[in-house]
Amino acid sequence: MEQMEPRQKIPSAVIIGIVLAIVLDTVIQIFWKLAVADIPDSASLITTALTTLTRPYFYLAMLAFAAQLVNWLRVLAQADLSFAQPFTALSYITVLTLSTFTLHEQLSFMRLSGVCLILLGVFLISRTSHDTTGSTAKHEVSGG
Amino acid sequence: MVDNLKFLGVVILLAAMAIESLAQVCLKVGAAGGPDILIAPYNQFLKKIALLQRAAVWKILGVFFYGLEIFLWTSVLHLLDVSVAFPMGSLCFVGVALLSKIFLGEVVGPVRAGGVVCIIAGTVLMTL
Repeated sequence: MEQMEPRQKIPSAVIIGIVLAIVLDTVIQIFWKLAVADIPDSASLITTALTTLTRPYFYLAMLAFAAQLVNWLRVLAQADLSFAQPFTALSYITVLTLSTFTLHEQLSFMRLSGVCLILLGVFLISRTSHDTTGSTAKHEVSGG
Repeated sequence: MVDNLKFLGVVILLAAMAIESLAQVCLKVGAAGGPDILIAPYNQFLKKIALLQRAAVWKILGVFFYGLEIFLWTSVLHLLDVSVAFPMGSLCFVGVALLSKIFLGEVVGPVRAGGVVCIIAGTVLMTL
């Protein structure tokens, strides 16, 4: 249970990067959905892809995607992959919240339980050390 | 016929999740500056390949696998209901945990593994 012992403080750059990643993930999902919203389900895969390319929302999504890549590489330079990546599950919750408000879907008990379980999972992971390999440059300077 | 298409959808979904996990590992190696971050014997093996010493190559590989994953995921959504595909998509959290432990030597102890299990259970509940 080494992970529960007093651990290094999570650097604020990692926290900011993870929060930004969740915001950008949500923005990408919403823009992408808006880009394909009026394409009928019956359209073929190729038609859907080509039509998407003509939508301005698609390019906004791609812009957010590029920003996400730069941001994510910065996060991974300072934290374990198995630490940072599970936090992206929080974007399921932000997307669900936004779509509930805009589509006026009813929140079921099951959905709320699911949200709570995801939050618990992310909380557990946040209690583990953000860098277990000691391989990042930052750790070598301040650690040991 | 319908069952065959569903089976194909599940197979493509599993492939997509494996590729997304691989994409994340490639991005991590790129962010860390190169294959030195991988544990032995993988780093020693990759030292023999000159091209793979550059961090940029790993970043490009990561983006390439991500692009491939998006294409496969689009096919999955055409073959399976979102209510089935979405929770199965969280298998990626398992893939990343396993690959991080095996190739990067990260400590995935009981707390971190328990967190991953909670996230997957929560994802399944969200679609019920």
